[in-house]
Amino acid sequence: MASPAPQLEPAHDGTPSRTPAPPRRASGAGRIAVGVLLAALLAVGVMHWLDVRRSASRSQGAEAEATIVVARAAADVAAKLGGEGEGIAPAMTAWAQSQPSVKAYRVINIDSRSLEASTFPADQQEGAPPRRLARPEKPLYDLGQTLRTNVETNAEEQTTGNPEFTVERQASGDVLVAAPFKVDGAVTGFAQILATPVAPKSTAPPLWRALAFIAAPFLVVLGLTFFVRNNTILFIAGLVLLLATIWLHATEKGASYGLATAAVLLFVFVGGGYAGRTSSALLEHRQAYWYIAPAIIGMLLLVFFPFFYGIILSFTRQNIYTANQPLTELWIGAKNYVDIITDVNIFRNTPAGRQINYGNFYWTLFFTILWTVANVAIGVAVGLVLALVLNTKNLRFKALYRVLLILPWAVPNYITALIWKGMFHQQFGVINQVIQIFGGDPISWFEKPATSFAAVVTTNGWLSFPFMMVVSLGALQSIPGDLYEAARVDGATRWQQFRSITLPSLKPALIPAIILSVVWTFNMFNIIYLVSAGEPAGSTEILITQAYKIAFEQYRYGYAAAYSTVIFAILLIYGIFQNRATRATESIA
Amino acid sequence: MKKTLLVVAALLFPTLLAAQTEIVVWHAYRGGEKTAFEKVVNNYNASQKNIKVSALAVPYDAFADKITAAVPRGKGPDIFIYAQDRLGGWVAAGNTIEPIDFYLDKKLTDRYIPSTMQAMTFRKTVYGLPLNYKVITMVYNKALVKTPPKTTGELVKLAKSLTNSSSGRFGLAYWYPNWYYHAILFNGFGGGVFNAAGKPIVNTQGNVQATNLMMKWMTQDKIVPLEPSTALVTSLFNEGKAAIVFSGPWFLEEISPKVQWGLAPLPTIDEAGGKPMRPWISVEGVYIAAPSKHKEQAFEFAKYLTDTPAAKIMALEGSQQPANRLVYSDAQVAANPVLKAFRTQLDTGVPMPNVPEMTMMWSPVTTAMNAIVKKASTPAAAFNAAQKEVEANIAKLKK
Repeated sequence: MASPAPQLEPAHDGTPSRTPAPPRRASGAGRIAVGVLLAALLAVGVMHWLDVRRSASRSQGAEAEATIVVARAAADVAAKLGGEGEGIAPAMTAWAQSQPSVKAYRVINIDSRSLEASTFPADQQEGAPPRRLARPEKPLYDLGQTLRTNVETNAEEQTTGNPEFTVERQASGDVLVAAPFKVDGAVTGFAQILATPVAPKSTAPPLWRALAFIAAPFLVVLGLTFFVRNNTILFIAGLVLLLATIWLHATEKGASYGLATAAVLLFVFVGGGYAGRTSSALLEHRQAYWYIAPAIIGMLLLVFFPFFYGIILSFTRQNIYTANQPLTELWIGAKNYVDIITDVNIFRNTPAGRQINYGNFYWTLFFTILWTVANVAIGVAVGLVLALVLNTKNLRFKALYRVLLILPWAVPNYITALIWKGMFHQQFGVINQVIQIFGGDPISWFEKPATSFAAVVTTNGWLSFPFMMVVSLGALQSIPGDLYEAARVDGATRWQQFRSITLPSLKPALIPAIILSVVWTFNMFNIIYLVSAGEPAGSTEILITQAYKIAFEQYRYGYAAAYSTVIFAILLIYGIFQNRATRATESIA
Repeated sequence: MKKTLLVVAALLFPTLLAAQTEIVVWHAYRGGEKTAFEKVVNNYNASQKNIKVSALAVPYDAFADKITAAVPRGKGPDIFIYAQDRLGGWVAAGNTIEPIDFYLDKKLTDRYIPSTMQAMTFRKTVYGLPLNYKVITMVYNKALVKTPPKTTGELVKLAKSLTNSSSGRFGLAYWYPNWYYHAILFNGFGGGVFNAAGKPIVNTQGNVQATNLMMKWMTQDKIVPLEPSTALVTSLFNEGKAAIVFSGPWFLEEISPKVQWGLAPLPTIDEAGGKPMRPWISVEGVYIAAPSKHKEQAFEFAKYLTDTPAAKIMALEGSQQPANRLVYSDAQVAANPVLKAFRTQLDTGVPMPNVPEMTMMWSPVTTAMNAIVKKASTPAAAFNAAQKEVEANIAKLKK
C-alpha cells in the first residue's frame, strides 16, 4: 500500500529512539488525518447527496401541487356539464384560453368509455373527439378506473391513503396531471392536463458547503499534528472533530445517527491502523487468499448475501402489500426488534380467567428451551442406555440389533412425523387403542399443552436417540478394557466403574454431539409443524415455526426476518457460551 | 453447398417465427386436467397463425410465490391461471394483474356464470376471465344410502342409523374443523368471514350458530369421526365406513373403484329455517400479467380458452367444471351426472372472498376451530378471539 500522506514522514510522535515504522506504511498521525478525511467524506458526502435529492423532490412536489389545482379546475368544468356530451369540448376550449400554463388537455368518461375532448395530438389519430376509446388507449381507461377505485376506497375507509391524482413528469420538464370528476356522487371520468410548471426555486445546499465540511476536520487534524505529539490525544481529537462535523452539517438529525456510526467505524478502521494491517496481510499472503477466493465467493453468494439481506429486511416493514417497494422506503429502524422484545403480554384476561397468551415471544422461547432440553435429555439417556446394552460382550445378533436401532434415524423425519401423528389420533390411533385395551379412556392428545408436548417429545425422542447411541457406542468401544480390569482388582463396584471410568471417557465424544443436537432440536421445524402444528392454540409452537407462520401466514416479511435474527442471536450466544464450556472440558481432559 | 443452405435456413427461420407473437401461459394443472388444457392450447395454435401459445406447468406448491416474485419484475408469463383467493393480494401489491374491464362487453360477460364473474371482480374492477370453478357437494355411498337426505333433519336421522363408532363406522365424514369445509354451514347461516365492505366478521352470530350445529353433530349425535383429515375421510369412504362425505371434485379422483358413489346437492339446514348449505366457490381465473408486452393477444387467447368449445374439452376430457354458462346446454355435457351435480350445487355457492386480507384469516380461524372442536373454548369466545387477532394483524399490515 502506498503511503497516503507521505509529507507527514517521519512520525511526529516525539519518540525518535523507537524503531521506525515500516517504510511503506502511514504513520500514526497520518493515519488519523486520512481516517478523518475518509470518514467525513463518507458521512458528509452521503448527507449532501440525500439533501440534494430531498430538495429536488420537494420542489417537484410544490410544482405538482400547483398543477393539480389547475387539473382540478379542468375536472370541475367537465363535471358541471355532466361529464359527457357535445358541450364538453367547447367549454374546455373556453377554459383553456384562460390558462396559459396548460399545453394540452383531455377529458375521458370511463362509464361510456369515451374521449370527450382532447387537444393531445396523439389522440387525433383515432379520430376527433368525442368518440369511443380505441384499444391502444386502454391505459387511459385503466387510469380512470384506478382513480375511481382510489376515491371510493378513501371514502369508504375515511382515509386519504390512496392517491386521488396522478402526476407524471415528462422528459421535456412538463407535468401530466390527471384529476377525477364526480357526477351525482360517483366518479365517472377524469380530466388530464399537460402543463408547464412554474420554474422551481432550487433549495439544494451548495456543493462548496459539503466540500468545506469534508476538508475542515482534515485540515484541523493536519494542523494539530504539528503541536500534539501524543497519538492517543490526536485520535480522540479526530473523533470529536468528526462527530462535531457530522452534527453541524446534518440538516435532518434523525437520519444522521446511522451515518455517524458508519463514519466512526470507518475512522477507527483507518485511523486505528486496522486498514493498514488488513491490506498488508492481504498482500503478504496473496497466494493463500487466491486459493480460498472461490470458496469465499461461493460463501458470499450462498450464505452471506441471503443472511445480510435477511438482516436488512428485519429493519423494514416489508409485507405482502409492500413487497414491490424499495427497502429504503420501508425502513423503520429497530422497531421490529423492539416489538418482539417488549411483547410482554404473557397473560391475557378472558372471561374464563387469566390465560397464557401463547402467541407471545417469551412463551414460545420458554417452550423452545423446554422442548430442546427435554429432547436432548431423552436422546442422551435412551441412546446411552442402549449403547451400554449393545456394548455387552458376546451379545448374540449384535449387528442385527444395531441396524434395527439405527433405523428410526434412516427414515426421513417427515415420514416418521406423519406416522406418529397417525398413531396419536384420538379415535383410530394405535396409542389410544392400547390405552383402551388396558381399560383407560382415550386421550385427545392435541387438546392440552401438556399432552401435546408429550406427543411431540415422544416423536422427536424416537428420532434423536439413534444418533446419541451411535456416538456413545463408538466412544465405549475405544475405552481400554484393562481400565475396568484394574478397577475390578481394586474392588470397585459396577456403579463406581461407570461413574469413574465410563462417563469421563465418554465426555469428549458426547459433548460435541450434545452441542450439535441442541442446535438441531432448537430449530426442529418438521416435527412441530407436522405433528402438533402448534396445537392447542399455538402453545406448542417453537420459535422457528412461529417465524414461518409470521412470514407465510401473516405475510409480515420484515417482522419475520427480525424474528429469525433473534433466533440466530440466541443460538449465537449459546454457541459462544458452549465453546467456552467445551474448552474448559478439553483442558480438564 | 449444403452448409450454405443451412446457414440461409437458420437466418430465415427466426424471421419466420418473428411474425408470430408468442404468449406464455403458466398453469398448475396435472394429469387429465393438464392433457385437456394442452389440447385446447394446441387447437388454438392450429386455428390461427398470428399467436403461438406455449403452456408451462408449474408445480402448485410454488406457483403463488413464483407469481408474486416473478411477474412484477417482468420475468413472468403473459397469462397465468390461479384461483381468486390471491387476486386481491396481487392487485394490492401492484404490477401483477392487468385490469381487463376495458376489453369486456356485455356479450362476453354474459357467457359466464354470474357468480364466477363476481369472483373475478375486485373493488368493482374485473381482473380475469373465469375458467373453471370448484365447489363442495355431497358424495354418498350408493350401497349404504338409497335416497340422499334433503335436509339436515333427514341427514342426522340417516347418519345415526349408519353410525357405529365402536366399529369405526360413521354416517357422515368431512373435514369439519377445517373452515374451508365448515364454511358450508357458516354461509348457510348467513355468516362468513368478510362482509360486503371487506371487513372481518368472524364472530358474527351466523358463524356461532353454524358451529353450534356442527358441535351438536360431533358431541350429541356422534355421527362424525373425531379429528378428521382428508386422509381419514378418504380411507373411511373407500372402506365403506363413511356413508356420506362433503367434499369437492378433488375427492372424486381418490375414490376406490370398488365404491359405487353418487352426488347430490348439500342438504338444507332445518336449524336455519330451511336455508341451503352454501359452499364456497373457488374460481380459477385467467389473468393477464400486467408487465406483459402482448396484452391484446393474451386477451384473445383468454377469450378462446373460456369459450364454449374449449370449455367442452376441459369438462369432458379434463373433468373440470367450466365457468362458461353456455357449455352446459351441450348434449354431452348435460348428460354427464358429475358436471350436472356440481352445476346444481354452484347455485347455492358463495364466491370465496378475494380481498387481500383473506390470507390473514387462515391461521386465526383455524386456531379458533381447533379450540372449539377440542372443547377448549366456546364458539363465541373462540371467534371473538380470532376476530380480535385478525383485526390486529390487518392493522399491523396496513400501518
